[in-house]
Amino acid sequence: MLNDILKIKKSLFADGVQTVLRGQENRNRRVVFVNGNLVANVRSESRGVNARVCKNGVYGFSSMAEYSQDAADAVLKAATENALFLNEHAPKGLPAQASYGRGIVPFHKAIVDFEQKRIIDTCKIIDEYVAKTYPDLVSRNIVYTEDSQDKIIYTSDAYDGHVTNPRCYIYVIMSILSKDNQPLELYEVFGGSGSFEDHFKDTAWMCPRIDNLHKKLVEKADGVYAQAGYKTVILGGSLSGMLAHEAVGHTVEADLVLGGSVAGPYLNKRVGSDLVNMVDFAHTALGQEAPLPVFLDDEGQLAKDAVLIENGILKGYMHNRESAEKFNVEPTGNARAWSFSDEPLIRMRNTAVLPGKDKLEDMIASIDDGYYLVDTNNGQADLTGEFMFGVVMGYEIKNGKLGKAILDTTVTGIAFDMLKTVDMVSDTVSWNSSGFCGKKQRIPVGLGGPALRCKIMIGGR
Amino acid sequence: MKNIRDISQRIENGFASKGISKFSYTLVEKETRELNAENGEFSLLRTLFDNNAVLTAYKDGKNGTVTGNDFSESGIDDLVASSVASAEAAIADPAHDFAPKQDAETFQQGVCTPDFGKFFDKVKDLIQDIKVEYPKIQIMNIIGEFVSRHVLYRNSNGTDFEGTSGAYGVTLEFSGHDGDKTTNLDYCGFETIDLDTRLIDQASVRYHLDNAQKQLEQISVTGKFDGNVIFTPECFAEFMMFTAANYLSDGTILEGTSLWKDKVGQQVASESLTVCLKSSDSRIVCGERFTGDGFRTEDLPIIENGILKNFMISLYTANKTGKPVSKNSSRDLIVESGSSSLDSLVKATEKGLIVGGFSGGQPSSNGDFSGVAKNSYYIENGEIKGAVSEVMINGNLGAMLIDIKGITAETVQDGGMVVPYVCVGGIVVSGK
Repeated sequence: MLNDILKIKKSLFADGVQTVLRGQENRNRRVVFVNGNLVANVRSESRGVNARVCKNGVYGFSSMAEYSQDAADAVLKAATENALFLNEHAPKGLPAQASYGRGIVPFHKAIVDFEQKRIIDTCKIIDEYVAKTYPDLVSRNIVYTEDSQDKIIYTSDAYDGHVTNPRCYIYVIMSILSKDNQPLELYEVFGGSGSFEDHFKDTAWMCPRIDNLHKKLVEKADGVYAQAGYKTVILGGSLSGMLAHEAVGHTVEADLVLGGSVAGPYLNKRVGSDLVNMVDFAHTALGQEAPLPVFLDDEGQLAKDAVLIENGILKGYMHNRESAEKFNVEPTGNARAWSFSDEPLIRMRNTAVLPGKDKLEDMIASIDDGYYLVDTNNGQADLTGEFMFGVVMGYEIKNGKLGKAILDTTVTGIAFDMLKTVDMVSDTVSWNSSGFCGKKQRIPVGLGGPALRCKIMIGGR
Repeated sequence: MKNIRDISQRIENGFASKGISKFSYTLVEKETRELNAENGEFSLLRTLFDNNAVLTAYKDGKNGTVTGNDFSESGIDDLVASSVASAEAAIADPAHDFAPKQDAETFQQGVCTPDFGKFFDKVKDLIQDIKVEYPKIQIMNIIGEFVSRHVLYRNSNGTDFEGTSGAYGVTLEFSGHDGDKTTNLDYCGFETIDLDTRLIDQASVRYHLDNAQKQLEQISVTGKFDGNVIFTPECFAEFMMFTAANYLSDGTILEGTSLWKDKVGQQVASESLTVCLKSSDSRIVCGERFTGDGFRTEDLPIIENGILKNFMISLYTANKTGKPVSKNSSRDLIVESGSSSLDSLVKATEKGLIVGGFSGGQPSSNGDFSGVAKNSYYIENGEIKGAVSEVMINGNLGAMLIDIKGITAETVQDGGMVVPYVCVGGIVVSGK
């Protein structure tokens, strides 16, 4: 954990500018077994200090790979010079951004480090279980990945704080041969916010889910291609979470709204059916701690929920201080940075479609000819809200019953059109927090949602 | 510690004191100056000083790797200790290794001393040129940067490579806007050492700006058909990266799931396709000089006239599988140009698409892909009928490379690749 050596530097912040000084350490641990071979055994730490200075609406930033008071002096100087350079050569002449209070945010969660041997031994136990239980696999991967951020933030006119974001996961990846001898793959993710011991003190709890993963893979090996076209489907929670993040979330990040996203003209207008509600949660979601809680952002703003869609109406965007000023609203605390050398950008935190009242089994029973799309491995979307999600596990629905598994496919649509077709929403939300979102820098994000019945374009043969 | 050779000496002394006689490491000092413009206005200027060290220690046939950026004496000592502890925790596997002794080499690439004032003016001109020449383009972001690196690689076999490099980089993200009409986001980027040519005239910047304006007028494609797809150079390069990941790289070769694992020397693509990693090519800016395993980088033919020549695998995978190690770990991609023109490929297409981007993720292990055709145009009876959205393409990577219909003489060179337009058949195109 970082020692606070930066507090003393607050008195050196220049007058007439708005300053944030941030010390940060990122830790990563990675262990990979492929078919029983330990192919990666890596530990990494990167730390440093950065300063961001705002002068009349333009920013200077500097970072140094050294966590010291001398480095803090150097980056404060360089960031100030950069802001003054832009203010001279490309002036905006804007007034100082409004302040929304000052104070100190208390420390939330410790980062606990574990010996690499402990991690390797745990992965080996899981690998041996998979190898022994499922000899029909053509390959198996066990991947442990851990990343944590430890930040000390001092600001000229906002909140200060010491914040941490530890998370760790084990991926179990299996490949099997299909009926026509083609390799097919599925994976399951275990873990979440916290340190190794929080999730992997023992591994017996993982076995039923590993068994279920193999069951699904066997079903997939006997799978069929989806029929391409515009279909009625049920998006499982994994896909509706992806929808919340990729297809809607990015279009309502205020910097992308200013950049011309489709959400710009839709504020306070209908973008979905009455059943659609969506929120970017800061630290508490649906009565529990959010998967990746954020209490203080990297501009020193208290993080609060951003309500995006309410009963189908677009209600708001996610903001940093600059965009909040432009939209004449309060910032939501969405300014986040990945490493010590990154400036904060508007990023999502825990973005979710809210649950409804329907039961999944009733939703399946309501479809004569369609698909139940269960798992996704990736998603992308555009400023227009045109999205694509990969589907790695799903089933045909025939006459209200699940049919054969389907082979890998993709679904696409335009978010604000597709959301208007949502006519059933399940009562249970599932979350995923293992991924990164990419937008100049990467950042950990949580995404979640219930099952949604809707119409969507599906790819296939 | 500011001198990279002093840091190197401390690392080796540290290994010696812990009884480690087998090791490799890379040290990188990196400085970045980066201009950011949002919505057509400069918004942020960044100056970044970063380091990176990657140390691998070997003990009793086991190895451990650590990375870090703390180049202080205590930081270096911690890295050495951590790498040794990681090695002790590992499982013995003699396949983990690095390159043998090679002659020492120092190299210098690209721009030694940047002219940041001139670069600032060039980026400013780029913003102004777009505003004047492409009035329907809304620029979301332009990032202009100069990155310089000082790199040292050493291993306990006596290999010593040291080099410096510097280059300018520009990336743009933008979309077309006309009244209520908005296009998909388009983007392009390039690395360069040329500050004399206008930035708007470099790489494929104009193609992408033209494209974003043309995408404002869209037509619908309905139903489903088998047709040709002409991939733009950037999009075909993306499919070459998919090919590498699915058939040629460590993951699938080590797992044994690559469908090409036994196909070196065999036909895997059309005779018209020749692909290599060519870091020495003068069109590649600051190409790779040594691999992650410590081999001096050599040009690596991947596919020659449709015949698979080499995999793209590390020494570990090579030792595990008995296949030759790849002495090029870059993505310095050269796809040999053909003799067609883009116009002739369009004229020869009865029904199909020009595809400028693919939103679909990595194809399945069996090569099947399915995704959205982005920044694309519909072709019918040899004519471009208009821009399209909500169109999906489905196919198989291996089958697609066999069914190449034509390759253009024209290429895009962005400093990291040289790739032509490539037309393939047998793609299922489906509209709404």
